[in-house]
Amino acid sequence: MGVIQFKNVGKVFGPKESGFVALKDINLEIADKEFVAIVGPSGCGKTTCLRLVAGFDNPTDGAVMVDGTPIKRPGPNRAVVFQQFALFPWKSVYDNIDIGLRNLNVPKAERQSRIAAILNLMNLEPYAEHFPHQLSGGMQQRVAIARAYVLDPDVLLMDEPFGALDAQTRVVMQEELVRLARKNPRTVLFITHAVEEAVYLADRVVIMTRAPGRIKEVLDIASIRKAEDWDSHEKIEDVMDLESFVHLRTQIWRSLREEKADQHA
Amino acid sequence: MSRRVAIGFVTILIVGLIWLMVTSVFGVIPSGRFPSPAETWSALIHVSGRGYGGGDLLLHAYNSLRLVVMGFVFAIITGVPLGLLMGWSRRAEALINPVFLIIRPIPPLAWIPLAILWLGLGDAAKILVIWFAAFVPSVINTFAGVRNIDRPVIEAAYMLGMPRMRFVTEVLVPGASPMMFTGLRLSLQASWTTLVAAELVGAFYGLGRVLNVAQQDLYPGMILVGMGAVAILGWATTRALGMAEARVMSWNTAALAAKG
Repeated sequence: MGVIQFKNVGKVFGPKESGFVALKDINLEIADKEFVAIVGPSGCGKTTCLRLVAGFDNPTDGAVMVDGTPIKRPGPNRAVVFQQFALFPWKSVYDNIDIGLRNLNVPKAERQSRIAAILNLMNLEPYAEHFPHQLSGGMQQRVAIARAYVLDPDVLLMDEPFGALDAQTRVVMQEELVRLARKNPRTVLFITHAVEEAVYLADRVVIMTRAPGRIKEVLDIASIRKAEDWDSHEKIEDVMDLESFVHLRTQIWRSLREEKADQHA
Repeated sequence: MSRRVAIGFVTILIVGLIWLMVTSVFGVIPSGRFPSPAETWSALIHVSGRGYGGGDLLLHAYNSLRLVVMGFVFAIITGVPLGLLMGWSRRAEALINPVFLIIRPIPPLAWIPLAILWLGLGDAAKILVIWFAAFVPSVINTFAGVRNIDRPVIEAAYMLGMPRMRFVTEVLVPGASPMMFTGLRLSLQASWTTLVAAELVGAFYGLGRVLNVAQQDLYPGMILVGMGAVAILGWATTRALGMAEARVMSWNTAALAAKG
């Protein structure tokens, strides 16, 4: 299972009365195996949302829960994929993926078969003995995704995972993620500022306001994806060409632009 | 690489030739001020054979090397864990750093009189002073190395449920190791500097003792031999440390090789 709940969540950095209010009154429930993307202007607290689920930060008000249990600290049932990959540079690709399983005391034979499977799935087999520095950004992020997926987590948290990649690599990785998510569905919380990415990947898109971050709108993508049969198109550019896709994208853009206009008014 | 080595040899040869010219051939520098190659050679034979200043060259060199290695290793054993602790825990840093701020500006050599007063002219005083000289850079660079580890890498370790001991051995230590080794190189240099100084002040054996006695005997050839021996040992120990570093940080050299 992997149900994420935000209940009246507020986060203040610094002293409670005078500090920076990053999040206010966040209420959100993400169903098991649902893919939710959060978009919003920079500094709106979307990464803070993810960090609360990861357990890197704790909420000032309210509660963040996974399967009904409030989160206190990080743990391998909530695997994180970071924007800057955050691989261990001193470990080979294999060892980077292995370390989480070792920490869970998984027996060696099982570790080997699980790592072999994920290396195969992510097309990383030839690079098992490479060090991260020897790989391109896209390959490094594949390793990071493999490292998260191999743990068989309840929840996958992705913090602008493709933000540091070039445009072409980004598209390949987006398609890859869709393929992966179909084979092996997970609850995913995906942070991005790229609107297309959110619409293409997510079942629901959450739009946040400028600081203090609140939820402005939640758009249901899954029903439209199903109704318009997006999944029959294999390539991302074909999906992005569909009228229903363009419509949703524009809708989100307008909503985000209002946020920026508000700021200057 | 071989080209570089060849150029290096040529340079040394030229310096040797100039040395020969200005001392033996043209006598620009009188031998009372700076020894000729021949005088240096005879001093080397002297100290290696009959011995000088209480022992032969091997005995002196062995004693100096032994003290440096002991002080240095002792400094690593104590300094690296303390640096890791300070890098890791803000509380430990807050507790220990003020002491460091006071002690740091004191040159290690200034501790020699106190060390001799406490422990006499034997090995213990020298090890103490070397330890002191080598300790500070080990701690500070290990500390900085830990602080330099990318925050997301640390968070990734948390996320992966790393047990405490494994977190230290597989994240903190390798993450800090590039700067840690910079610190250890500084420590090693400081160890040699301090050792020679401490032996100059007072010792029964050691290369510093050779230098000190040779100075009193107005024996420039022997002074040069002593200096040369320190240089060679310093180079050899630095080289050994470099080899250890290359071994421990093979992931880093692999990274450098990949970048070309």
